Amino acid sequence: MKPADPDAAKLLRWYPRAWRERYGEEFLAMVEDNLDGERPGLRFRLSVAWAGLRERGHRARLAGQRAGPPMLSAVTGRWWTFFVAGYVFAILPYELEASSGAAQGWWVTAALAALAAVAVLGGVCVLASGLLGLPAFGRFLRAGGWRQIRRGVAWAAGATVVAGGGLAALARVKGSMTYDQLSGSWVFFLGSFVTGLLLMAAFGLWANVAKATAKHLDLPVRVRAGEMLLASVTSAAVLAMLPFTLFVTSATQSSLFQLLLGVVALATQSVVATSRIRQALRRGRRLRARAARAR
Amino acid sequence: MASKRQASGLRRENDPPLLILISLAEGPKHGHALAKDIEDFAGVTLGPGALYGAVTRLEERGLIEPLGSEDRRRPYQITSAGSTALAGALADLRRVTSVGLARLRIDGHLA
Repeated sequence: MKPADPDAAKLLRWYPRAWRERYGEEFLAMVEDNLDGERPGLRFRLSVAWAGLRERGHRARLAGQRAGPPMLSAVTGRWWTFFVAGYVFAILPYELEASSGAAQGWWVTAALAALAAVAVLGGVCVLASGLLGLPAFGRFLRAGGWRQIRRGVAWAAGATVVAGGGLAALARVKGSMTYDQLSGSWVFFLGSFVTGLLLMAAFGLWANVAKATAKHLDLPVRVRAGEMLLASVTSAAVLAMLPFTLFVTSATQSSLFQLLLGVVALATQSVVATSRIRQALRRGRRLRARAARAR
Repeated sequence: MASKRQASGLRRENDPPLLILISLAEGPKHGHALAKDIEDFAGVTLGPGALYGAVTRLEERGLIEPLGSEDRRRPYQITSAGSTALAGALADLRRVTSVGLARLRIDGHLA
């Protein structure tokens, strides 16, 4: 194979490395064919430089698009949902105890009622989702599917046991300290944080098992559409627990900052939840329409 | 229709992607042969930068694919998705052209 003309090869520097590796040789071959032994003129160099810079811009835009959704999903995606669930379950028992001790404003009662409502809604959705998929899950297990998910189940069960241990340890610490001591204790803060992370891991691993299992299930279209809607409502319910928890803690800790944070979180979660539920409804309609066309 | 055209990356009749697909509809060609063919049938001169920019986009969209080659000059061929996109783009152009021609005849500009 003839080596590239070094003068022409310099033109490649305007292009990104990945592009050079993929197209570099054939591009230089075309440049040499075009120039037919002559040196590249200024206009030629400028046009290649412009094309190379455009290619760099294109690659940067693609990289930005690829990086965008994961960055966004760190805040709005399912791991954020698990984090909120872990955090709420780790700190809620103490906040509930603190809020029940003294006379509190009506907003604490309202926030606790809302918290209970979204927790029940989330639980009902998870239960309904499980019941909807139960017949298909039974068929999957009878066909020997257990082997495909047992590793994931083992990890999730292990994480649940460890997280349960963390909750039990927190309960022990809590029993030996007053609420004020707990509030000022770094050990308790750190323990709550780690337990929250462990709970987040447990929820996430169970969700991964559910997702991996769902891939193997032969679900009717209506059930799949229902599962998508239930998943979006569950996620919305879990995320809604954060602002209501912040309302409760703002009262127990007399924190205006937490109250404001709760208001911002509620507004944000309302927008995210509405968008997700609408998206799930649209996807469900598309699924049904596609199935109807295929019939 | 417009969104279909945008999805396939084909817009105008002198767009490099469209010209490359038309050229490859005849058979596989490498870069320099593509540029020569396009100059012959369309009178459009595509430099290496413009041609390879379009080749990159077309390959990303799965409208063309490279063929194996021992030489540095790698030939490309149109894919079935590329043929479908080209047929759609040409049908759009024909519709626009026929409307334009009909209107010119009505106005008496074309004999």
